[in-house]
Amino acid sequence: MDVVVQQTVNALALGGTYALLALGLAMVFSVLGLINFAHGELMTVTGYAMFFILSAGLPFEVAVVIGILAAMATAMLMERIAFRPVRNAGTATMLLTSFAVSTILHMLFQNLISARPKALPVPDWMIGALNIAGFDIGVIQLISISATALLLFALTIFLRRSTLGIAMRAAALDFPVTRLMGINANMVISTAFAISGLLAGVAGVLWLAQRGSVDPLMGFLPVLKAFIAVVLGGLGSLSGAVLGGIVLAFIEVALRAFLPDDWLPFRESIALALVILLLLVRPEGLLGRKEAIR
Amino acid sequence: MSRSNWLKTTAMTAALAGAVFASGTAAAENFKVGYAGGFTGYLAPYDQPSLKGVQLAIDEINAAGGIGGTMPIELIVKDTRSDTAQAAVVAQELVDDGVSVMIVSCDVDPAVASGVIAQAAEIPSVSSCASTPTLPAAVGPYMFSNYTADNLQATVLATYAREQGLENAYVLLSRDTPYTEKLPEYFAEVFAAMGGNVAAIGEFTIGQQDFSAEVTNIKGLDPQPDVIMTAAYEPDFPAFLKQLRAAGITAQVLGSDGIDSPTTFGLGDVAEGVIFSNAGFPSEGSPLAAYEAAYEAKYGEPNDTVFTATGYDAMLIIAAAVEAAGSTDGAAIRDAWDNLENVQVATGTMTYKGQNRVPVRVVALNKVSGGERVHVGDFTPDPSQIPAP
Repeated sequence: MDVVVQQTVNALALGGTYALLALGLAMVFSVLGLINFAHGELMTVTGYAMFFILSAGLPFEVAVVIGILAAMATAMLMERIAFRPVRNAGTATMLLTSFAVSTILHMLFQNLISARPKALPVPDWMIGALNIAGFDIGVIQLISISATALLLFALTIFLRRSTLGIAMRAAALDFPVTRLMGINANMVISTAFAISGLLAGVAGVLWLAQRGSVDPLMGFLPVLKAFIAVVLGGLGSLSGAVLGGIVLAFIEVALRAFLPDDWLPFRESIALALVILLLLVRPEGLLGRKEAIR
Repeated sequence: MSRSNWLKTTAMTAALAGAVFASGTAAAENFKVGYAGGFTGYLAPYDQPSLKGVQLAIDEINAAGGIGGTMPIELIVKDTRSDTAQAAVVAQELVDDGVSVMIVSCDVDPAVASGVIAQAAEIPSVSSCASTPTLPAAVGPYMFSNYTADNLQATVLATYAREQGLENAYVLLSRDTPYTEKLPEYFAEVFAAMGGNVAAIGEFTIGQQDFSAEVTNIKGLDPQPDVIMTAAYEPDFPAFLKQLRAAGITAQVLGSDGIDSPTTFGLGDVAEGVIFSNAGFPSEGSPLAAYEAAYEAKYGEPNDTVFTATGYDAMLIIAAAVEAAGSTDGAAIRDAWDNLENVQVATGTMTYKGQNRVPVRVVALNKVSGGERVHVGDFTPDPSQIPAP
């Protein structure tokens, strides 16, 4: 029983990071119909920004703030430079553009910074664990769970109470009609990218604190997981993306923890098979609505 | 970024774009070496440093007049983009360019793809840092290894663990690459053969950011392991180590050369006492220390990975084989290469004679202490203890 509780805490912490990333993807998808595969590179940008700030001798907290701001700025620049010119060209064009942006950033990181990973020392207080009621919970895990909860709360308030937030939800339902209501499309899309940058930046800090280094290709795998989470939760649904991330993490952690040794090599295949099974039962995703997928 | 750095980067990018990169002056008697490497993509962290080492070796050899003082080396570099299919295409282009020896990627799959093309053309090839001991046999008699083989490293690590009186081992492997799978398996094999108990073998996926499930499983083992061995490297190794130490597990952690990176030394307290194997330690007055000085003089920054040194080694071995063959004929070079003995290279000495094209070289053990690298010792294992590949 103890092990089950411990593994649940583990899954929640991992699910938090997945949820943040998936929500960033879903945010942009809801207004543009684009799965931005360059989303993971925003984490990498956070990492390099932190690396340069730390190299300049500034404190870790400053590096975290600048790192997250850098991800937001990069996300907005991505939209302005790469996606806005092809916005009306169809979703396939935008999808390919996002792959191009991702590849170009990889090459720039590899050739202008370094192909080798750069060390990113993390303060010692972040590495320890707290023992709460007999269960180990890592400081990073704790930060991960609380940061996710806090961001989701703030985002919900923003989407429900502010004009821009309501405009974004309206845009997610029907963008052309929203524009007819006098909402500035560029503003809505730019904001969606900025929020996705913020979420990627926070997820990036959490992941970087675990891995202790930043390298040019580090964004690829997380965005893949986030994509699975978004599809699982239901394309076009923001709460679905969060749920998808948490469910994916629970599946992964449960398989890694409780599969017999002989089955371990197949854990990834089993995890994906379960995801497919869920999608067979609910083709629109866990919280998806048919009309949201267009 | 300074202007000279920018220029260097631009020049490098141009070279990577597939342009022919020639060292030395073009003359009829130049010895052509082709390099089919992944200079962009996932192999760039290994193949880019290897290339830097190769270029340093060529600069030094050519400054002395070339191989044997008379035959300058011309290097032709082509980027495989870390793509296995492209590795075969690029190898064919190098064959058509008339290279006499080919250097191929650090990963086994593209190394095989390039190697079979070179094999068919009877051109000797060598992988700068692939460490899977079965690679040369998989391709054929013209393929050579250069790097410390996985079974060699694993034997040194297991022997050390047993000599320290460690009894119960937990081994963490990943079937995503031969390196992360086989090296821990060789370790488990030798550790058990020497009377140790392998308590459990765990698995991970490369890039998996969360090791909490594995760590919770380790905590549940009875008896608790006193040594934990893995060939994981970053980002997995730091993530695993942090979560392991955060859970209060204090067992000795053993790693392999994949963690020989500035990241490991920047991890702080959690990395204290970690022991890892690699291709050499730059003790004062050693050839490796001299190499590091030459590297810094050429590139203006300290060397931060052993892969530059092993790239340098590979080029010295090629030069030694050509000199011993006294000919640029592929078959003659191959035969001479297969009989090389105690060739002095940057990381120590290398012997190919009688080794089925997988060299014997020294394995160094290093300890992380106070964020610094401390030399534990250099080991050459007894061949009878090295597990068959």
